Amino acid sequence: MPKLTIDNLEVTVPEGTNVLEAARELDIVIPHFCYHEALGAVGSCRLCAMMFVDGPVTGLQMACMVEAQDGMVVSSTDPDAIELREHVIEWAMTNHPHDCPVCDEGGECQLQEMTVAGGHGVRRYNGKKCTFTNQDLGPFVQQEMNRCITCYRCVRTYRDYCGGTDYGVFGSRNRIQYGRFQEGTLESPFSGNIIDACPTGVLTSKPFRFKTRLWDLQEAPSICPHCSLGCATIPGGRYREVQRVKAGINRETHGFFICDRGRFGYDHVNHQERPRQARVDGQPVAVAAALTAARERVAGMAREHGPNSIAFLGSSRASFEGSVLLRDWAAATGSQQLVYEAHQGRDHAARTLAARLGEHGRSLEDLRQSDLIVLFGADPLAEGPMLALAIRQAVRNGGKVIVIDPRPVELPCAASHLPLAMERLTDVLTALAQKDLHAFDNHEHAFLENLSEQFDSAQRPVLIGGADLLGGKGVDALCSTAAQLSSAECAVGVMTMLAGPNSYGGALLAGDGPDFDTILDAIQEGTIRALVCLESDPFREAMDPSRAQAALGHLELLVSFDATPGLAAQRADIFLPTRANAEMAGSYMNNEGRLQAFQAVIDPGLPISETGAGNHPPREFFQTTPGSAPEADWWLLAELLERDTTLAALRKTIEQSDECFVGLSAIDAESTGLRFSAQGSLPPAAEQDLLQTGVTDALKLLAITGPVGSHWLAHLSSPLAATQPKPYVVLHPEQAEKLGLSAGDRARLTTHFGHCHVVIRTDEKMVNGLILAPQLWDTALEGMVPGSMLDCQLEKEGKA
Amino acid sequence: MNFWRDIKGTLQPFWITLGYLFKKPVTIQYPEEKRTPPPRYRARIVLTRNPDGSERCVACQLCSAACPVDCISMQAAEAEDGRRYAAWFRINFARCIFCGLCAEACPTMAIQTTPDYEICNRDVLKLVQEKEDLLIDGCGKDDEYNYYEHSGVGVANERGGNEDEYGPVDPKALLP
Ligand code: SF4
Ligand code: SF4
Ligand code: SF4
Ligand code: SF4
Ligand code: FES
Repeated sequence: MPKLTIDNLEVTVPEGTNVLEAARELDIVIPHFCYHEALGAVGSCRLCAMMFVDGPVTGLQMACMVEAQDGMVVSSTDPDAIELREHVIEWAMTNHPHDCPVCDEGGECQLQEMTVAGGHGVRRYNGKKCTFTNQDLGPFVQQEMNRCITCYRCVRTYRDYCGGTDYGVFGSRNRIQYGRFQEGTLESPFSGNIIDACPTGVLTSKPFRFKTRLWDLQEAPSICPHCSLGCATIPGGRYREVQRVKAGINRETHGFFICDRGRFGYDHVNHQERPRQARVDGQPVAVAAALTAARERVAGMAREHGPNSIAFLGSSRASFEGSVLLRDWAAATGSQQLVYEAHQGRDHAARTLAARLGEHGRSLEDLRQSDLIVLFGADPLAEGPMLALAIRQAVRNGGKVIVIDPRPVELPCAASHLPLAMERLTDVLTALAQKDLHAFDNHEHAFLENLSEQFDSAQRPVLIGGADLLGGKGVDALCSTAAQLSSAECAVGVMTMLAGPNSYGGALLAGDGPDFDTILDAIQEGTIRALVCLESDPFREAMDPSRAQAALGHLELLVSFDATPGLAAQRADIFLPTRANAEMAGSYMNNEGRLQAFQAVIDPGLPISETGAGNHPPREFFQTTPGSAPEADWWLLAELLERDTTLAALRKTIEQSDECFVGLSAIDAESTGLRFSAQGSLPPAAEQDLLQTGVTDALKLLAITGPVGSHWLAHLSSPLAATQPKPYVVLHPEQAEKLGLSAGDRARLTTHFGHCHVVIRTDEKMVNGLILAPQLWDTALEGMVPGSMLDCQLEKEGKA
Repeated sequence: MNFWRDIKGTLQPFWITLGYLFKKPVTIQYPEEKRTPPPRYRARIVLTRNPDGSERCVACQLCSAACPVDCISMQAAEAEDGRRYAAWFRINFARCIFCGLCAEACPTMAIQTTPDYEICNRDVLKLVQEKEDLLIDGCGKDDEYNYYEHSGVGVANERGGNEDEYGPVDPKALLP
């Protein structure tokens, strides 16, 4: 550990730290542009000059390029260093257009800050300024090239860190232009990160364009609600709407960057059709009245038909605290019908994981350091994009990636891929654990043999599974394989992609209660008469939506708590509006069992852009904010159960009643979160056959998660609308040929939902003999619940 | 001693008052009579226009940031030609303390103070003024400045067409 002196202060830093970072340890901030913790130092901006007075290195040096060594004496206040920094910033400003008033970076611009910090106050150069042509980079990123200071941070973020290939740098001398070779939409699903990375106003957010300034934004640390990884985010709101999300920092999980779904998927909070009014039997009522009605009718139902006539359905979207209170409500009613996920496969997977993960749990940071990553039925870009970036960093650090999946899993890094039917994933896991590969032939055998050998030499291997394809049995096999392959020297890690931000928390609370398909049967039979839905929409989320809709029609009482305009919210007898994640404090437990707290960014209310219809706010004044009825899910349930309604008190009670959650009240939203030792229980054994028939002469279709934008909350977010593809199906080219189809053709897809029109895509990386259809909301493919197998027919309608 | 001082102190003010009876009065009979304040007097705030008649304000939110009583609010928007402008702009004169900091902060000379001090109203809502109420037809105190002639976003002129600019350059050019 080198010990050095900076500005007469001594500091000891870990090996490999550069002097700029060492100075930061002492709270000495040296002006800099090109250095970034996640991207490293390249020494291209020449701004971070420091004077090395004594020791192994002497003279004026770029602090970011010098590794801290013992005995160094460094000065940041040396007149030569100050003068150099002043000149460098002056050069950087010679061509700068000085258009801060119309620049969206204004107020949070590193160039503004560094210009002041560098001491450049008066412009001396009176020559003409060089200008550039901008490119249209698609719906997310706005470019204004004149403001560029050529620090290369965008390119290093986009290409090196995120693995994008269609953005780079062109030209020479003072004609350096950043952008695409040809104007067009940025292809990387992480493109938004260059907005955060660019220290100037060249790259700014298009959906946030001209919305507001940092000083008028309400910001708070939050957790992304779009997948089970739980990336830290910082949403910003103003005028009663969430206007943007930028990446927060959590070195244990996602690091410094987030995916475009998380960044641009905030608009569900402001959705026009979002229900904001409590209702009882279709009549608008006050929240208190609706709560009383819910409490009394549920209790009445329990008295009349027994406590088990009421089922409680939580969801992966609800906060952990709300989920605990749902369990308490079920317990208070006496009902055993409690489940936290309407999708059977995802439910079983989450519960199995919560029961079996234990010491095998790995964070994204562990993954970045891993040397062998094997994905079984996990498609990171669809199920949790930042997982793909963590995998890419592992590859950049020398790790290997192997994908075993029926789908053509795309990754932003090199990976070897074995296409294998969904039913056989579990077989592979068992075979690997037992080191018995005789059931596989030819190239499959060779591939798995090779994989098995790699396991023997790997130091930090991690198995990654996906809930959609593996289901409960698959996740069980995944954990068993990890346990069997682990040895004293090398523990095999496990990570599983679950349905949503609090899937793991729900799974812990669900215990060994029934799954939702069992509950649906009971509703169909009439033994369950009432259903309470906490931020869930069983009409759409159940494994077979048509069966769910038929069964749910028999309900006598449907109570829904929700923040989105789902079908359950529309059809509920008693409806209570909840706050969206950006409007409340609470916590989520991510897919490694890490509980992370989030804070409220804004208070709920109809956005001013809506009440003013784009013009100035209405010239009427009210005592209360219109549309401000929604309350946090945990608040509503605490009120309903007549408990103390502060979050702190609630967390204390949870700690007191469940020993395994001790530490809950201590977590704060700025921390890296807390992993609890709590262990769940395995789900009831029976898992339904996933194949749904009803079409004769059939081909097999596997419903999968669509690309960015096809998740429910993402679907409600208008900035992501542009990324929603037209309905399509993917086939292996050989199968397409057999059916007389080729890529780009239009075809008619028939399933038990009916007919719909799709575009044919082909991919030779996928398994032959299967048709893949993504779930796309508000299209004919809406019913394609990921993980379900359907019989289908496909007929050609037109040429490409 | 004190006695004489008190007598003097009692009578002198009467004497001075008496003296003023024979001088010309300085009081103005407002509102019948009105005073003309100096041109840089800080009263009613207006939004001025560019010499070419377009709106000057670019909705940069600097005035609202500078305002110590937070009485300015606005929403920026983008016009077809890329111009940033205020979709709406509101000043609550019931709150304004006429400090003039907004005018000081404005980079485009859009927001200016004027000598019109007659703003009082019994209806507070009438003191909440929108962009339509604030926008005047002239340039105010500077009849030359047009922000977009000097900032390099290519709105007033083509890109690179402002007086102190050249280009746009061709990044794919091979010449040294
Ligand atoms: S576009 Fe931004 S990040 Fe990229 S080189 Fe220019 S200033 Fe740096
Ligand atoms: S990876 Fe998941 S949690 Fe992270 S930003 Fe993307 S959607 Fe959100
Ligand atoms: S004069 Fe002062 S108080 Fe009035 S709007 Fe301007 S900054 Fe605000
Ligand atoms: S009046 Fe001036 S300071 Fe205020 S928003 Fe408009 S341009 Fe900016
Ligand atoms: S930060 Fe050191 S040269 Fe740029």
